[in-house]
Amino acid sequence: MNREELFMIAKNWFQQQDWKPFPFQKETWKAFLQGKHGLLNAPTGSGKTYALWFPIVLNYIKQNPDYKNKHKKGLKAVWITPLRALSQEIRQSAERVVTDLGTQMTVGIRSGDTSTKARAQQKKQMPDLLITTPESLQLLLASKGYDKIFKDCTSIVVDEWHEILGTKRGVQMELALSRLKTVSKHLRIWGISATIGNMEQAREVLLGPQSKALENSVMIKANINKKITVKSIIPKKMETFPWRGHLGLHLLEYVIPIINKSKTTLLFTNTRSQCEIWFQKILEKHPEFAGEIAIHHGSINKETRVWVENAIRNETLKAVVCTSSLDLGVDFAPVETVVQIGGPKGVARFLQRAGRSGHRPGKESVIYFLPTHAIELIEASALQKAVKQNTVEDRIPYLNSYDVLLQYLTTLAISDGFYPNEIFREVADTFCYQALSEENWQWLLNFLVMGSQSLQSYDEYKKVEVEEDGKFKVNNRGVAMRHRFQIGTIVGDVNLTVKYQKGGYIGTIEEYFVSKLNKGDVFTFAGRNLEFIRIKDMQVHVRNSKKKTSKVSSWMGSRLTLSAQMSELLRKELYSSDEAIEKQSIEIQSLAHIFERQRRESIVPQPSEFLIETFKSRDGYHAVFYPFEGRFVHEAMGSLLGYRISLLSPITFSLAFNDYGFELLSDKPIDMQQVLDNDLFTTDYLLDDLQKSLNATEMARRKFRDIAIISGMVFTGYPNKGIKMKHLQSNSQLLFEVFRDYEPNNLLFQQAFTETFEHQLEEGRLRLSLERIATQNIMWKQCEKATPFAFPLITDRLSREKLSSEKLEDRIKRMAAILMKK
Amino acid sequence: MHGIMIRDNSFQMHYSGALFWKEKSILLISDVHLGKVSHFRKFGAAVPQQAIQKNFTAMDEALETYLPKTVIFLGDLFHSHLNNEWKLFEAWVTSKTMDFILVSGNHDIISPLKYEALKIQILSELLLDGFLLTHHLEEREGAFNFAGHIHPAIRLNGLGRQSVRLPCFYKTNNQMILPAFGEFTGSYTMEPCEDCEVFALLGDAVLPVPIKEVKKKRKYRK
Repeated sequence: MNREELFMIAKNWFQQQDWKPFPFQKETWKAFLQGKHGLLNAPTGSGKTYALWFPIVLNYIKQNPDYKNKHKKGLKAVWITPLRALSQEIRQSAERVVTDLGTQMTVGIRSGDTSTKARAQQKKQMPDLLITTPESLQLLLASKGYDKIFKDCTSIVVDEWHEILGTKRGVQMELALSRLKTVSKHLRIWGISATIGNMEQAREVLLGPQSKALENSVMIKANINKKITVKSIIPKKMETFPWRGHLGLHLLEYVIPIINKSKTTLLFTNTRSQCEIWFQKILEKHPEFAGEIAIHHGSINKETRVWVENAIRNETLKAVVCTSSLDLGVDFAPVETVVQIGGPKGVARFLQRAGRSGHRPGKESVIYFLPTHAIELIEASALQKAVKQNTVEDRIPYLNSYDVLLQYLTTLAISDGFYPNEIFREVADTFCYQALSEENWQWLLNFLVMGSQSLQSYDEYKKVEVEEDGKFKVNNRGVAMRHRFQIGTIVGDVNLTVKYQKGGYIGTIEEYFVSKLNKGDVFTFAGRNLEFIRIKDMQVHVRNSKKKTSKVSSWMGSRLTLSAQMSELLRKELYSSDEAIEKQSIEIQSLAHIFERQRRESIVPQPSEFLIETFKSRDGYHAVFYPFEGRFVHEAMGSLLGYRISLLSPITFSLAFNDYGFELLSDKPIDMQQVLDNDLFTTDYLLDDLQKSLNATEMARRKFRDIAIISGMVFTGYPNKGIKMKHLQSNSQLLFEVFRDYEPNNLLFQQAFTETFEHQLEEGRLRLSLERIATQNIMWKQCEKATPFAFPLITDRLSREKLSSEKLEDRIKRMAAILMKK
Repeated sequence: MHGIMIRDNSFQMHYSGALFWKEKSILLISDVHLGKVSHFRKFGAAVPQQAIQKNFTAMDEALETYLPKTVIFLGDLFHSHLNNEWKLFEAWVTSKTMDFILVSGNHDIISPLKYEALKIQILSELLLDGFLLTHHLEEREGAFNFAGHIHPAIRLNGLGRQSVRLPCFYKTNNQMILPAFGEFTGSYTMEPCEDCEVFALLGDAVLPVPIKEVKKKRKYRK
């Protein structure tokens, strides 16, 4: 069959559905059938699944003209989705295509939720089309004879590539692709991505920076313009609206009419605990919603999540309080309205969430922004502009993630073993490891085999062995088993299963939260009040409770930050507070009294000004700086400045950051004049100072946690299997200290610092903002007390960083253990 | 080093976490967790090997400071099953002249025969002149209890939202918990209580920790 005939099959199908294929769909079909690789830039709900399922099936038809009568078995295509929850949806669309076109192809899902039985069956006979997650794909590479499974695979589609790209799962994906390129001779690689700032780079990472695949690839843009309307919820009485906070419950009543007005409303919160609280409070204040609202987040069990997703489709729910768990994929046509509670910290994310409403081509999306504190209204205003200008941020891919590479090499060693020379060539072709040196490669191999760089007598280290012909192989079943369990934990704390005492799985929770509970304590989880009974075999046993509680399950999760583009918009909005009122957005207008108070006590900085405020409180001496550059840049600048000040004289700081500025708090005053005279904002020796400041703070230490888990240094146990390995559990903090004291040159230890540097601190952006500050006049205001701008910062008790140039003995002299009096 | 009198006996707290009982010339050491590093390595977690040696040099230092007649381990001497670190321990013990006693803890699963071969006496507890030595904390009428197991640490707070966490000796009226002696062992943060005394380990010093009573949480107002 030629291409025209194949296209006719697809077009006929569309006609039968009364649809017309979009140009981007036809373009994708063509490119695919020409044997090209590519990246498809299309939002959810645009018909992207049909853009790729069709050519995959058509390609099969082309190669098997007798497709209606004969079935050529074996894996033809793999569809990667970052969220298990999406796989059902993708399967349905695939099944529709294969059945309607009269092929006998089969579709299967393989993920953490797939039963052992189904998996064993798949291993005997793979479905033609397989839908799976990055982790499960790695697990396939960990099974014997994987090369035979993938031999005739013609395509791999990585869905929601923008979500995976800037994460270590993205690196996992790069590595898997590097292997499959060799194993599957006729492989086409396709990515699907929502719009991000660095689309071209996204394609490069997917296909390999200098690869033949990249040369023979296309970028296809869907160009579906969707109308998005953003409305801020502005409290009627601004005067009583709080200056700080992150929950936004003050405005709960404003949400009720919105929920009542539309068929289904999604309320997006930024954290799972915020999600729990909102759900609880809505029901408390409006019991009439019982049964009509639901909660959805990543730690709730799968059955409940699926139930909620189906209920949204069946229009039986008025509202769902959710987190990013509902950001992606699934097509929820009945959703008419979306409410974003608190700053989404990213335009792309905000757009994606807005897109959840009016989820049909051509329909308008409406999103409400609910600020959690007054200053956040500035962000709301900036967001409106960003949506209008379609300003989206970059997703920064990882470089040289040694932890993921070690995990991958162990994976290969478990299945069929590997020969270093062959694998090195593949690995060095990926974006992540394009600069990997032979020396570091050798280091990694030594690490796998000896657990160090030289063989020690008496050492019993056991992991990968080198066989006679030079093949690296794991022969120990225990090592293999532990590694397989570990693959899924690319991010993670120790997660414990929450279960009713009598059985019944409710979800998972981080150990650190449970460790604060005592028997009989009641906490809120999955929208229920639960009484803590005990921890047994990695399970948290609970029973329902009628008691009220203020303890809400919480998860550390990752903190988000404003992008460079958003920060710039934010600054512009702030400066507009000085302009004539008719030029201001309604959000800025509503903040008038706050700006007035800020001006009375300090100033609202102009574009040419950089504001520093100092004041004293019972907590100590505060110095607050306002670069308005987003949290990560502030973390970098705060540590840098803190470090430079600490060189002037021994001092200890507690640092707090938000998207507007940062605070240095100390028990003695800072000589600000000295700071200014010494030009401590200079970009000279920036890299060096930043590196040294990292040692003085604990940021790298926190990064090390993930690295230790991914590389298999810290074993998390098998939460869902109820297997505990207590004798092997250690804490990554402890490990960090051991490395610091005994093996500071270890690449994994070093990686914690580089990652903090490249991903957390954004050194490049820091340099630019310091250069900007150099052109500004520094306005140092000595204030009586905390100003409206300073307030959200100085009251942050949780996410503080510390930095010290004093001797421990000296610091401790001024400290005491606190005994709380009841 | 820091001295303290308990029931007319004099004790010295060493910055390593060991406790010396002067009248009896006994050195108490708790939770060394020997073999932990090797155990991890055996299971594929490459913890730096150099950390192994630290436990022995630290014990040497404490022994040389007090030259005790007897060393009593308050449990969890060895982390898990036998591994090659036992050989290092054997060599270390045979090079010493003092008596050794192990009050066994939950981690001590190595055969008693192995200890007996090294002339180390194994007991489940030891009552000596009204002082009760155990691994797990015990309350017993009339006795003062020394125990380990918990790996106590204390959090110190200061102005400017500063805080520091340090391993410590934790003493109440009738009990004292020793800090974990071993490298790579971790610790558990204790809450200070009424009539308790806390002594923090500070590198090369032992520091009595002042305890400040605070009424209730401060609240911010605009």
